[in-house]
Amino acid sequence: MRFIINIFLTALLAALATWYLPWWTVAIVSFIVALLLPQKNGRAFWSGFLGIFLMWLVFSVFRDISNEHILSARMAKLFHLPGYGLFLVVAAMVGGLVGGLAAWSGAALRGR
Amino acid sequence: MRMMRAIVPILLTIILVLVLDNPLGSLPALGRLLDPVNGWAASAERTERDFNFTIVSPAVKAPVTIWFDEYMIPHVHAANEHDVYYAQGYIHAYFRLWQMDLQTRAAGGRVSEVLGDKALNFDRTQRRKGMVYAAENSLKAIEEDPRSKEMMNAYTDGINEYIHTLKYRAYPLEYKLMGFAPEDWTNIKTVLMLKYMADDLTGYTEDIELTLLRDMLPADQFAMLYPERDYSSTPVIPAGTLFEPPLLQKVPVPAGDLWAHLKPTDFEAEKVSNEGKGSNNWAVSGAHTKSGAPILCDDPHLGLNLPSLWYQMQLQTPGMNVYGVSLPGAPGIVIGFNDSISWGFTNNYRDVKDFYAIEPAAGKKDAYMFNGVAVPYTERIERIGIKGKGTFYDTVNYTIHGPVVYDERFPGPGKLKKPLALCWMAHKASNEMLAQYLSNHARNYMEFVEAIMSFQCPAQNMVYADRAGNIAMWGQGQFVNKWKDQGRYIMNGKDSSTLWGKVIPMQENPHVLNPAQGYVSSANQTVTDSTYPYWYNGYFYQFRAWRLNSLLSKLNGATVQDMFAIQNDTYSILAEHALPIMLRYVQAKDDKYLGELKKWNNELSAESLAATVFQVWWECLYKELWKDMLAKDKVPMKPLVERTMELMMLSDSAIQQHQQPFLSNLTAAINSGYKLALDSLAKLDKAGNLQWYKAKNTMVRHLTKIPAFSYDERKLGGWGNTLNAAKGDHGPSWRMVVQMGKEIEAYGVYPGGQSGNPGSKYYASFLDNWTEGKYYKLNFFNNSAKQKDSSSIKYTWTLQAK
Repeated sequence: MRFIINIFLTALLAALATWYLPWWTVAIVSFIVALLLPQKNGRAFWSGFLGIFLMWLVFSVFRDISNEHILSARMAKLFHLPGYGLFLVVAAMVGGLVGGLAAWSGAALRGR
Repeated sequence: MRMMRAIVPILLTIILVLVLDNPLGSLPALGRLLDPVNGWAASAERTERDFNFTIVSPAVKAPVTIWFDEYMIPHVHAANEHDVYYAQGYIHAYFRLWQMDLQTRAAGGRVSEVLGDKALNFDRTQRRKGMVYAAENSLKAIEEDPRSKEMMNAYTDGINEYIHTLKYRAYPLEYKLMGFAPEDWTNIKTVLMLKYMADDLTGYTEDIELTLLRDMLPADQFAMLYPERDYSSTPVIPAGTLFEPPLLQKVPVPAGDLWAHLKPTDFEAEKVSNEGKGSNNWAVSGAHTKSGAPILCDDPHLGLNLPSLWYQMQLQTPGMNVYGVSLPGAPGIVIGFNDSISWGFTNNYRDVKDFYAIEPAAGKKDAYMFNGVAVPYTERIERIGIKGKGTFYDTVNYTIHGPVVYDERFPGPGKLKKPLALCWMAHKASNEMLAQYLSNHARNYMEFVEAIMSFQCPAQNMVYADRAGNIAMWGQGQFVNKWKDQGRYIMNGKDSSTLWGKVIPMQENPHVLNPAQGYVSSANQTVTDSTYPYWYNGYFYQFRAWRLNSLLSKLNGATVQDMFAIQNDTYSILAEHALPIMLRYVQAKDDKYLGELKKWNNELSAESLAATVFQVWWECLYKELWKDMLAKDKVPMKPLVERTMELMMLSDSAIQQHQQPFLSNLTAAINSGYKLALDSLAKLDKAGNLQWYKAKNTMVRHLTKIPAFSYDERKLGGWGNTLNAAKGDHGPSWRMVVQMGKEIEAYGVYPGGQSGNPGSKYYASFLDNWTEGKYYKLNFFNNSAKQKDSSSIKYTWTLQAK
């Protein structure tokens, strides 16, 4: 249950934070959530990863659909990816990795 | 212990964030870019976006209403001059900010600040040829006139109003890709934009190559191969037009050694052809049109880029109602029409850029010889900021002629080390902004002529038509009363006898009003016949003019559709004259390529195979024909294609009459050229690129050349020497046709879209129609139009003080 809660809390707070602050605040959010709601390192990593991954994915899919994939298709070509869908997933995974590492850091510091 | 275990992931997190927050080599800061909240996805404009805005801007004197039509073209209604240019600045910045920023950086040599030292040589070239110096000179002239000053200031304020609303999230995508930020606009940037055009249009020069060729070839051969003007042309001002006796006296050629001399070992340049950097314009009088009203047409051929060079707008005040294309980065309308008159430009190509060889004073580093004495240079220190590397200082020496562009420290084309100073009309103080202001307001021919008297550089062939039924053409610009050959070659810079003399009074520039032939036209050809009293040289091209004049002279009951067809014409005059000769002397067996050529109609149409075969063969033949011209030395610049074709025709007749042809290697070159062509054609065939549009590959590329934001293999025909001059990355940048009747009927299209944002559906929305030669009927609203009267209006902006 905490795993699910952490995922959604991370996603929600990260969306709120980056609306006003630079992108790297997703790391701080993941770190704090993992610190305050402790889990084992591996689970913390994955809840941080999925939190940010989902937030980035949902946010970009939402904007991409109303853009009819004009820009995501160009971005995919820019990064030599075969299609816009893959670009959205790969981009979200970059965010996920930051979130996961930050959450692992928080969990490790709490040391449960 | 706990701390110890946490150190590894914490360090990893910090490293990852740092890596993603900073650019890596040529990669942008990936974290910032990929973040969907503030990064790339913020530029993914909703396709159903509602563009109805109210913008509060304390600077406007009265509310400004802006209608956007179905093509996203704004129609600005303002109560006064200040507000209309303020709104134009705001709109330009809203849709094209990054492009304006980058192009003015390029003009002023400030690209290294954002791209690092790979742009340093480019920036130094810009600085050393005096781009900033030129802009500073003109800014003074512009700010001396209250009209152009108000126009510039209001425009700059409008841009800055928009820039100041921007947060990172709203930056154009390219800023995020290249990792820099918008900065405040200034009037000098606007002038740099104008100088960027002046450089694009008058920057081409053959002085260095001609200097060498003149010394290497026998005089009669040189004159035959490199005539100073082609009198077989159908000139811009119709032959036989009467020129008034000149106000200035003819200047005799001074005595003494006027020239610099070059040896083949001094440099290793091979000239890149300038062909196709040109334009067509014409106007047909009502006597030859179906409606009885004059029709004016213009298609300037420039670099095909995205965001597009042009931005369409209509600007209205109680004293002005003008529509056309504007340059993002400058106020006013460049090419277009108002409720009384219409006008368009082609490049004039009279030579206004000359070089002087500088002799450094012996034993002194900071002086040069002039009239027998050592004169100190005026030093101008150019500071070039380099991203991540601090500042590069370049001291440029200014002489009485102008800046020393090339020297030992900064060699010229082909590593030429001779110190050369540049004397260039673009350096002189001038107020083209006022010309634009006045032409946008002009109501008749007299007012138009008065307007263009402020237009000095770049010299343009200005076509004119009005609703009163007049048509006219001016070869307009500021020109110097030169002695024969002055400035055609690098001049000796140590003597006052080679200095530029008086300027020709502008009313004496070649012009014609309502000529008997019933049309006026220009396509970068020679400006006048030989009766024009002042001497000039230039870089003139004839093929499009020959074709255009032959089509226009046959017009009767012309319609706008006929004009569309002419702008999209792909007939090759070169093929018409050269191909029969090539086929006569080629000894190859009748293969499939020669078979295609024999059936061919000389049209460089998109899907034609014969067009590819001819063009490839011609390119090879042209190289073969001239490669041994200077025996062992490399040919710095081949004779013009027009001249080559004429010499081929002369040689062909000579051979037929069993006389010695001028081109003794004609048959050999045709055959060796064909062999080379077969190799290239085999390669094209293998790649499936034999169709002409694939072989030539007309591209419309983003300014960064990023393929993902660019389009290639546009399916259209033509080449630089056909009216539809679509080359690789050059071509018709704006096709306009305006019928100046009681109701003005206007059509236009450009290869791009109104938005500069690659994430907008308006980014390249006109491109397919441009490719197919289709036009949009332009919405030109009169001053009393109401929004409810037009179904074309989709969105409205209101700019108000509170």
